Amino acid sequence: MSMMAVAEQTETEPVVEKKSPGKALWLLAPGVIWMSLFLVLPMLMMVYVSFWTQTTFTIEPTLTLKSWVTFFTSDTYLGALWTTVRIWLIVLVATVVVGYPAALFVGLFVKNKALQTVLLVLCVIPFWTSFLIRVLAWRPMLGKEGAINMILMNLGITDAPIEVLLFSELSVIIGMTQIYCVFMVGPIAFMLGRIDTSIIEAAQDLGAGFWRIFRTIILPLSMPGVVVGAIFVSVMVLGEFATSAALSGRKVNLLGNIIVTQVGSLKWAFAAVAGVVLTILMGAVVAALLRIVDLRKEL
Amino acid sequence: MNASGIKTGLGAYTALFLVFLYGPLVVLAILSFQTGPEGGPQFPIIEWSTYWYKHLFGLTPPSRIAPLPIEQALVRSLGLAVMTMIVSTVLGVTAAQAFRRKFRGSGVVFYLIVLGMMVPGVLVGLGMALVANTLGIDRHWWSTAFVLHVVYTFPFAFLVMLAIFNRFDPSMEEASWSLGVTPARTFRKVTFPLIFPGVLSAMLFAFTLSYDEFSRTLFASGRDLTLPLAIYGTFSVEVHPNVFAFGVLTTLFSFALLGTYAALMMLSVRRAKRIAIQEEA
Repeated sequence: MSMMAVAEQTETEPVVEKKSPGKALWLLAPGVIWMSLFLVLPMLMMVYVSFWTQTTFTIEPTLTLKSWVTFFTSDTYLGALWTTVRIWLIVLVATVVVGYPAALFVGLFVKNKALQTVLLVLCVIPFWTSFLIRVLAWRPMLGKEGAINMILMNLGITDAPIEVLLFSELSVIIGMTQIYCVFMVGPIAFMLGRIDTSIIEAAQDLGAGFWRIFRTIILPLSMPGVVVGAIFVSVMVLGEFATSAALSGRKVNLLGNIIVTQVGSLKWAFAAVAGVVLTILMGAVVAALLRIVDLRKEL
Repeated sequence: MNASGIKTGLGAYTALFLVFLYGPLVVLAILSFQTGPEGGPQFPIIEWSTYWYKHLFGLTPPSRIAPLPIEQALVRSLGLAVMTMIVSTVLGVTAAQAFRRKFRGSGVVFYLIVLGMMVPGVLVGLGMALVANTLGIDRHWWSTAFVLHVVYTFPFAFLVMLAIFNRFDPSMEEASWSLGVTPARTFRKVTFPLIFPGVLSAMLFAFTLSYDEFSRTLFASGRDLTLPLAIYGTFSVEVHPNVFAFGVLTTLFSFALLGTYAALMMLSVRRAKRIAIQEEA
């Protein structure tokens, strides 16, 4: 969210400088060249290769639509596409549902600035652990002999261990929700923190209850935060493959997993098709989210 | 807001939320002290021991559980992180410096740079592997993987520096120039000390992001493993508490980095204050 604001500022703020205009070009050139060569070119290459001819172990630059046809007629690939969309939607909703109340508390109810900072820092600290370690940490939690089953059985809530907790779609969703919900909490808490509390006080003085205030004031004003959080979460979840590899026991295949296995068996053209499909999906999701809220206006 | 019932409820929920965030990591840390080699990655703790930490460093008698290949991987990961840190910080500072004046196409360039942190590693990684394949270049951690790490961390450095330059008073530099100091010397003596906290933050971002990065490395680094790749290799097999012990150690390393950063930051702030006092006197 801050980057939008920064972009706005850099474009509108006239900065006094006494250097020749050529200087800016020289300063900019290394970064632009780097990004063009190592970001734009690889992405274009991916689109190009998706139309190449795939033989058993290699690819040839003869253009064909065959890989695309294979992708859209194969149950495996279409299934992966559907799984990706489903898991993305569930995780997105889960991060909002799990993260919003925490953000509400931190952003609006905690008046003490120091406590607010401490709580936000507490949310960020887990990111100082390796991402893969955080994913792996769910295995001893969710397993048949895992911590959660042990606690449930000791409390007498269940007699037998719940096996569906690990190596299932549920474990992937739990893991992703925990890892990504902080990206939802941050932007929402930021937007809630900017709400002028006198508006809420005025509504209270006029006799509005909490739910009414929440529905008509708090929720609409926090929407840009939800959208920014949704963009972060969506881009990360759609590009995922490690969590499903670690926690699903190969039962959940996302588009990312398809790309990894196709590259592993040297099916470059198929991998490229899956990559292009994923890129288009991601672009569509981000564009749709940006339509909901005009970020430039709101931030 | 005086809805104190709601406030208590939300407070309790936030406490639960923190348990959700930290629970798995705490369990992982506890289980890393499981006895070995017969103790598995689950409760109960048969006996508290540091067996798996010793196992990690090859200090235990050989057992059926293969040690993690971390020695070489650690050197590679640190080397890669340092290279990435230096290059992306330099690129970030120069690009942000260029953004201090208005120029045509600044919007396009801004989004081009920021795209680097948005595009998932699996996509750029695949693209890079395809480019390397087509050109017949071998993939290595210090070549193809390195350039992708910079693509990822350079935007972070750029945004940090942009924020710093936005609060920057250009009259300091102008004073220096009008006294006839060369631009290069002005940058070294005036600009750089002022932006140093930002540079430090950019370096911290770049180093830790690269040290932890794995999806880009997976596709672009060829056969040699970095640390995250070594961990990823354990995903498909049975997990033993040695991975947990490694997780604890790498977390402590990250905290040490954060501590160093905080200390350097404090020193820089203190020095700035001292200079300010001297100027007043």
